Amino acid sequence: MQPKVAVIGGGIAGIQAALDLGEMGVHVYLIEKKPSIGGVMSQLDKTFPTNDCSI
Amino acid sequence: MLEAGRHPEVEILAYTDVVGMKKKGGGFALRVNRRARYVKEDVCNACGLCVAKCPGRAPDVFDTGLRKRTAIYLYFSQGIPAVMTIDPDACIYLTKGKCRVCEKRCDKGAIDFDMKDVRMTLEVDAVIVATGLDMFDPTPLTHYGYGRLANVITGIQYERLINATGPTGGHLYRPSDGKLAKKVAYVQCVGSRDLNYCDYCSSVCCMYSIKDAMLAREHDPESDSYIFHTDLRNVGKWFQKYEKRAAEEYGVNFIRGRVAEIEEDGNKDLLLWYEDTRERKVKSMKVEMVVLATAAMPSRSAAELAKILGIKTDRYGFVETVPGSPADTTVKGVFACGFCKRPCDIPEAVSQASAAAQRAAAHVKKAVAV
Repeated sequence: MQPKVAVIGGGIAGIQAALDLGEMGVHVYLIEKKPSIGGVMSQLDKTFPTNDCSI
Repeated sequence: MLEAGRHPEVEILAYTDVVGMKKKGGGFALRVNRRARYVKEDVCNACGLCVAKCPGRAPDVFDTGLRKRTAIYLYFSQGIPAVMTIDPDACIYLTKGKCRVCEKRCDKGAIDFDMKDVRMTLEVDAVIVATGLDMFDPTPLTHYGYGRLANVITGIQYERLINATGPTGGHLYRPSDGKLAKKVAYVQCVGSRDLNYCDYCSSVCCMYSIKDAMLAREHDPESDSYIFHTDLRNVGKWFQKYEKRAAEEYGVNFIRGRVAEIEEDGNKDLLLWYEDTRERKVKSMKVEMVVLATAAMPSRSAAELAKILGIKTDRYGFVETVPGSPADTTVKGVFACGFCKRPCDIPEAVSQASAAAQRAAAHVKKAVAV
């Protein structure tokens, strides 16, 4: 049977955890309370210390 | 984000709350509530025809209330899933029983006003908590005047102002009169390192304020930026260099001293009273806009979730982990990563996420083998 994991929170940490598990062949439910994933990170313009775009 | 949306093993359940959890076998039965969007996720393509005619209005939460959005809305432009949502508190049909303009405008038939919340049970072998942060509301700090003085904004509002997709198209138009703010002060430790509110350091504000000040100078080389700090806590790879670059290449001014009070004059300019601790003098400075670096706290929904999952949190509400196993919570099979554990920046949240994924994978492989 395929293992399954629930990740609660679809911000940068949740997305990264979900992708890592997905790559390992684990089925992931990525649960987010807001209408779409992205979290606080998606509200940021640029990020330190490189001033790269956050998305 | 896009990658998560495309990954065949990642099933995104957005607009969904966790409402209960029970242990089941070696794993968990997680009860979730998928809230009704009133828009069919598999049909809507976010074309925007509905938005153009929607008469309902509500503050845009994503833009931190700096502008209004329609009742049917796209949470943000690159969001996944890229579908519209109807805000039930702002929708004229859902509150007053008449309208349904969006339904008429939608040529895909994606609107469904009969949609109900759907309760689901997810059977999983492990859970990862990554509930992140919410920003401290600085209204109780009345000496800073947030909510009372129009041109005092928070760091996250500044992020939306300086963002090209934000309410001002990336220009620092101040809220009171839409004038371009030329002289901006950044006030550090608002709510953080404060015995009355959060007596911990939020860890990211020094760096993001330096970034904010640099961005202002990038957008407008004639602007002036002043950072009022307690002490600068730029702990991380290249962080010290970043601060130096801000001062030397971007001309950002650093003043060591906490701001005591902010006053407003007739032009809605702001007068900051502070103690310059290097010169040991009480001084004042007039600026056109103030950005408060508010404390970052565990997400407001985290306490309830901790109760549902049975995991322990500390007195601030951060998830407690097992000594020596920083990704493990106090419940076996439940892991945590990112800001919900303690203040951290994006690179650290990412590395913690990989750690939690590894721990969860090891746990589920064992659980499934049994």
